[in-house]
Amino acid sequence: MNPLLAQLLSKGRFRLSVGILLLVVAFAVLGPMLDTRNPLFAVGGRYDPPSANAILGTDVIGNDVFLQLMHGLGTSLKIGLIAGLVATAIGVLIGTLAGFLGGVVDEILMGLTNVVITIPTIVILILLSVALESRTLVSLALIIGVTSWPWTARAIRAQTASLRVREHVDVARLSGAGTFSIILWEILPYMFSYIFMAFVLQLASAILSEAALSLLGLGPDNTISLGKMLQFAIQGEAIRTGAYWAFLPPTLLLTVISFALLLLQSSLDEVFNPRLRRA
Amino acid sequence: MRYALNKAAWYTMAFLAAVVLNYFLPRLIPGNPVDTIVARMAQGGGSEGEARQQIYQTFLKEFGLDRPPLEQFLNYLGNLLRGDLGTSFGNYPAKVADLIAASLPWTVALQLPAILLGWILGNWLGVLAAYRGGWVDRWAFLGFLALSNIPYYCLAILLLYLFSVALPLFPSFGGYAPGTTPHLSLGFVLNVLHHYTLPFLSLVLVLIGGQAVGMRSMAIYELSADYVHYQRSLGVDDRRIVRSIFRNAMLPQITGLALAIGSLVGGALLTEVVFSYPGIGSLLFTAIRQNDYPLIQGITLLVTVAVLAANFIIDLTYGLIDPRVRAAQVGER
Amino acid sequence: MDTLLRVKNLCAAYAQGGQRVRAVDGVSLELRRGEVLGIAGESGCGKSTLAQVLALLARPPLWVEQGELWLDGAVYPLGQGIHLPRELRGRKVALLPQGALNALNPTARVREIALEVIRAHEPKTTPQEAYARARERLEQLGLPSRVLEAYPHQLSGGMRQRVVTVISTLLNPKVLVADEPTSALDVSSQKAVVRMLRKLLEQGVIEGVIFIAHDLPLLRSVADRIAIMYAGKVVELGPSEELVEAPRHPYTQALVGAVLVPEPYIRQKRVEGIEGTPPDLRSPPPGCRFAPRCKYAQPRCSELEPPRFGGEERFAACWLLEEVLA
Repeated sequence: MNPLLAQLLSKGRFRLSVGILLLVVAFAVLGPMLDTRNPLFAVGGRYDPPSANAILGTDVIGNDVFLQLMHGLGTSLKIGLIAGLVATAIGVLIGTLAGFLGGVVDEILMGLTNVVITIPTIVILILLSVALESRTLVSLALIIGVTSWPWTARAIRAQTASLRVREHVDVARLSGAGTFSIILWEILPYMFSYIFMAFVLQLASAILSEAALSLLGLGPDNTISLGKMLQFAIQGEAIRTGAYWAFLPPTLLLTVISFALLLLQSSLDEVFNPRLRRA
Repeated sequence: MRYALNKAAWYTMAFLAAVVLNYFLPRLIPGNPVDTIVARMAQGGGSEGEARQQIYQTFLKEFGLDRPPLEQFLNYLGNLLRGDLGTSFGNYPAKVADLIAASLPWTVALQLPAILLGWILGNWLGVLAAYRGGWVDRWAFLGFLALSNIPYYCLAILLLYLFSVALPLFPSFGGYAPGTTPHLSLGFVLNVLHHYTLPFLSLVLVLIGGQAVGMRSMAIYELSADYVHYQRSLGVDDRRIVRSIFRNAMLPQITGLALAIGSLVGGALLTEVVFSYPGIGSLLFTAIRQNDYPLIQGITLLVTVAVLAANFIIDLTYGLIDPRVRAAQVGER
Repeated sequence: MDTLLRVKNLCAAYAQGGQRVRAVDGVSLELRRGEVLGIAGESGCGKSTLAQVLALLARPPLWVEQGELWLDGAVYPLGQGIHLPRELRGRKVALLPQGALNALNPTARVREIALEVIRAHEPKTTPQEAYARARERLEQLGLPSRVLEAYPHQLSGGMRQRVVTVISTLLNPKVLVADEPTSALDVSSQKAVVRMLRKLLEQGVIEGVIFIAHDLPLLRSVADRIAIMYAGKVVELGPSEELVEAPRHPYTQALVGAVLVPEPYIRQKRVEGIEGTPPDLRSPPPGCRFAPRCKYAQPRCSELEPPRFGGEERFAACWLLEEVLA
């Protein structure tokens, strides 16, 4: 087994974070299979407290909070997944091309990256989602993905530049392999763990971006997500009326997700970036 | 000097990119944007008949849709340079610039002290944890991480619920008691501070966490530096050593402070939304709900300009602050 | 000549991951007033560890296990958990480190660094007094006093090392422990630093120097006596001239043969002329530690540790000398 992977698996922090994330995913995937009711269908009155009817009570329009939580988590994860894939794909493409080709291509691509990094992400997100005709889960996820690739591109470029000078890459080049074939077969496989790490981080930040956009009133239409639940709770005055069941579950879930990802990131960092370790 | 020009060129490009993005926002909407805007506003129960016609004319003129595209863009740029951000139609006929000017002080007054206090306390706690080491460091570090990592709007929601609903110690919305008008009196100031506490706290806690995490790793790095070893070899006492570590670890953090101040406007929009606190965040929230494109554009442009300006100033002045960077910059030329 | 510093049976080890690597093993040495004592050996022979211990700088993962230290008339026991007063460092013993750029705080001017060192020992000194003292010292040694205003990175490599020498000796320490102070410098800067050390000794600013280097020709020109270290032990000691001209220990012979060139251009750390590598100190070989690499090795060499043959002034630890000297 890869020694870095073995080192990771021996870390309690790593196992804890992976455990939490698996539970979260299981809740979103298995939940709707076990309980097939429609989350957008009212089961009670405005802010009914938790009861046998709805174990986490109802929200401002009488929907079952528990059901909404399951489906909302699912939507948030889907957005995270799509946005993460898009961002990682763009970042890897730009990063490997810039790092591998170097020279003018590198300068242009990194210049573009730096320009996008300097413009605040939230601004681009707001402008793009305001301009959308209708905000669907997919279009929102695409927007989030399209705005969040630059950091990945930077990191991947650095990795590629250091891999480029390896011997097996030279061998491939001398045997006449093309740029894309070398990147695909001689570069990408060697940073798979790195790309995966970038993807996980992108996924997490996409979930949080969705929540932030929803809170501003720019969430996906006609569906429920963690951010939309928070938005409804805040606009429906759930906090001020003390309906804790309506806003605490999504808040805590978002916090738990981001905390688990933080643990994951810090254990990955410690393995990949030993300078921060104490003697 | 070449360095400065080079940087200026980069930031101009970033700025232009942002302006273009802003310019295209309403024009990306299919069809004639002015028609769409006015129609959407009408759906929202806006004004009727003659007033709507007047609004229509205003926007047609502002957008200059009857002109060729390049002229439209130059027209837009010209208006920007004159500080004219257009007319809001959520609050027609108020000018966007005036609306922003009225909200900005609230945001600055909320964020600037929070950023400064969070920065100072965070630096101090970070160095302390690094220097103490052992279990103090381990637990403090975990605490900082947890604080810095909780989404700031989640912390705001929790604080709001805990300290104004569950334990009604603080008011739950607004910048001052409803029904009062801002004036200078002790009672009013106390009232404002009372409303200020929770939003302020929710920002400071997150900032402390983030700052302390960064400062701690810088300080750990400095602790193992050769100059620390050398100072020790000459019998320099711990107090003096910590002082120089603090200084050297803090200099790079000045960048972070400037960036935080730069992203002040757009950095915590949701805090205001959660606490219904007046300011740019709440203004944007309303603008989005009313499809008030000129106002949205104005705010996003302000956010961008603030961030770009802060970055530019850092790039230009940082070498003056930190001799190490000055050396590196001299080396580059 | 009287004794300025003496260590007896000094042992120091690095503790890492439950393992102990004894890098200094039973070293006894004496530094006399007014002399330069050279210590030479390959990388990893323990000479730098010895420098850290003698400069009173051992801190985890380096532990002083045992030993006794005479320093300027006082006796200090050494061992785990014994902390010597901070005031000794800088005043009685000071370190002249290798790599002067990193030794100076990059964000402080030279005068601020000097002020800090002086104030750490004499808190009541005003900045003006401290700067005056530093300026005086610089002028005494023929260095421009404007370096006080400079940041470390603004100085050339050679100047930096000289400035560090001035800072290290600012408090008139009795003993200066110089840990390869010239190994990163060109030949003329090397000579300048060596001349400076001599001048400081003549002027009585410092009273003795322990000069650590892997470069025997350089040591021969600086040191009055030289001790050769191998695998944590002192294997030979004698007056510089004699030791380099007529080495007795096979290791010293190899060392001399390997680097004795007119100008020491060869500055790589491992001596090329000797076959093999120094032993793994986690499990040192029994008997003589050089035996595995020694071309004269006899069966008993790898069983019994050789004692010192010769007198206090001139000895070597090698069985070959038993018949010659006994």
